[in-house]
Amino acid sequence: MQAAARRPRTNHLDLAQRILDVARQRGFEPGARLPEQQIASLCNVSRTPVRAALGLLAERGVVRWEADSGYHLAIDLTAQASVATELPATEEDELAEAILRDRSARRLDQTVTVAGLMRRYSAERKTVLKALNKLTEENLLDRAPGQSWLFRRTPDDPEAQGDSYEFRLLLEPAAILTPGFRLDGARAATLRQSMEALVALPDAAFDTREFQRLDIDFHGMLAEGCANRFVADALADHLRLRRLPGIYTGVNVFRLRQSLREHLVILDHLESLQYEVAADLLRIHLRLSRNQRPQAASRGAPALFGMISRPD
Amino acid sequence: MTRKASPTIALFPEASFGAALNCVGIAQALRAKGARPVFICHAGFSGVFADYGFQEYQLPTDEPLSDSERQSYWQAFVRRHLPHFRLSPVDQLETYVAPTWQAIVDTAVNAEAPLRQLLARLKPDAVVLDNVIMFPAIAAAGCPWVRVVSCAETELPDTNVPPYLSGLGADDPQRAAFEARYLSASAPAHDRFNRFRADAGLAPLPKGQFLETSPDLNLLLTPSIVRRERAEPLDPMRFVYLEGCVRSEGPFEVPVFPRNGGPLVYVSFGSLGAMDVGLIERMLSVFDRLPARFIVNVGGLRDAYRAVPDNVYLDAWFPQPSVVAKSDLFIHHGGNNSFCEALRFGVPSLIMPYCWDGHDNARRAGETGVGDHIGRDAWTEGVLEKAILGLLADDAMRARLKDNAAQMALKPGTDVAAQAILSLIRT
Repeated sequence: MQAAARRPRTNHLDLAQRILDVARQRGFEPGARLPEQQIASLCNVSRTPVRAALGLLAERGVVRWEADSGYHLAIDLTAQASVATELPATEEDELAEAILRDRSARRLDQTVTVAGLMRRYSAERKTVLKALNKLTEENLLDRAPGQSWLFRRTPDDPEAQGDSYEFRLLLEPAAILTPGFRLDGARAATLRQSMEALVALPDAAFDTREFQRLDIDFHGMLAEGCANRFVADALADHLRLRRLPGIYTGVNVFRLRQSLREHLVILDHLESLQYEVAADLLRIHLRLSRNQRPQAASRGAPALFGMISRPD
Repeated sequence: MTRKASPTIALFPEASFGAALNCVGIAQALRAKGARPVFICHAGFSGVFADYGFQEYQLPTDEPLSDSERQSYWQAFVRRHLPHFRLSPVDQLETYVAPTWQAIVDTAVNAEAPLRQLLARLKPDAVVLDNVIMFPAIAAAGCPWVRVVSCAETELPDTNVPPYLSGLGADDPQRAAFEARYLSASAPAHDRFNRFRADAGLAPLPKGQFLETSPDLNLLLTPSIVRRERAEPLDPMRFVYLEGCVRSEGPFEVPVFPRNGGPLVYVSFGSLGAMDVGLIERMLSVFDRLPARFIVNVGGLRDAYRAVPDNVYLDAWFPQPSVVAKSDLFIHHGGNNSFCEALRFGVPSLIMPYCWDGHDNARRAGETGVGDHIGRDAWTEGVLEKAILGLLADDAMRARLKDNAAQMALKPGTDVAAQAILSLIRT
């Protein structure tokens, strides 16, 4: 992997995204001032990294600098759910992504070592460690004895997918029904717009990757709206697994489109504060989303749902 | 003649992905023409059709297997039959074909009573049967029925057509010996099936045959480029050839490979073939040294693989037509659906058959110059490498297949099938 001399530092990128999250949550409109001190205070950091993060956002055209009044928001944050895709990836981000991609394709074993990854990706030790730490923080990896790391189980086989849906069936409706649930109105409006746009596309133009982004964002919004932080955190950790490569393959466009329509109806009921109906619809949505396709079928044989072990 | 505005067409595919997905293609075309296609499905296949937006009616069974019983069944099935898939077609007759016919007869017997009840309740305007065996309930349904011949053309006998499941040429000197052995091996299941038919009020079928042609309509999934000249041509009023029968799937985004260059090769042996992990592992070691990218369908056994090469991507399921459309070569088992999809998108086939009509399609691919075939067992790394590189380099074959695909696209088999089915609907 090539070292990129001009890559922004990870913490500046993270902070840039946090600044935008704060601005969106507070309903900042295009043109709103972004005073460094206020931003620093809202993000619990000093002014120096805020200045660097705002500079990064200015390079991307997300904010603009005016000599007499400082930084201003240059885009409509309600029109896009996330600007993460607009920000450049760091070297460790790219490496982490490659590690996940290669694990998903079974090019990497369940256990990996720093030395092995350095060799495979021609990467420096510190970059590998940063990538591994990032994946560990995201609960995708566990530190194992010595210099090795162990991938956690992900919902990429039928049994794990079944477990994942059972877990979500338990917790996601509960997240809505727990007293104190709050829907992020601005985020919901942005999501609605994006989901309606996607559902209107013909099959041939349907963007599965955009579906994945919207699906994760929709369910993440429900989790984050939960007043019980333990439920919210457990769901956030679990939903992060759905960002992994390969999780959405195998679902056909008809079902994805149907799924978007179900999201929209759930959103209707959340916006009209009918939380019990929304929770019931969410249960149905999750049940319908569970893949029912058999793993094996043959003439005269009963279709197989579960896994069988590797034949000798 | 006026037709019912939204006729109900009941599609009843056998419990295999090839037939199921063929019928999805036909149902999509029927829906586009205003009909109401619904699916009758075997236990285990409900959900497959609903995911394409179709109403399903599952046939109830008296003794549904638990998940662990199904797993035990398959574990035993694979242990028993994987060695048989390495045998020649003639040596599979007693080991695989005969017990499979027995199991298929069981399916028909068990389905009869619930199928009669369901059809009486549904009152369809037509039934589409995509199977290799007759269900007497369909003949008694009181509406036209359509047979989909979704195996190779060999499923309909003719003196100019090689014997079904033989993998032989039409004039092979081994023909008579194969036919005799086939009749002998299938006789116990056939005798039992004819007794069942008699009880249900249907005439017996000739030896070796388990499904009659429909008096109304028969659809053959046999594109022109691989079609045979029959000694007794089929009546065009009752037999309609389809230029494949490819369903509509969503777009497929080719994954990024760490070694990301060269032509794209798609490999799928169906869900049954995916269980032969040892064979696929041997193939991966060959793929590793070839200048191409390989997408491999490994079914639910992805965790059985380690150290997968950087030019290989494994997954449990792919939207196959969309993947084939982007591929330069399709390595498959000769299932007729896969074969037709390769032809529909102008992609050469490298067929490695392991059972049933895969043997017939493998031979036909070679005979008609639309691909090549190699045995499942007796290949060396050099043989596989040469076959892959040879097909990838065959520009003349590719050009001919692309021209043919353009012709096939002008007459989509799904539309022709839907039109022919709707023409049967009575006022």
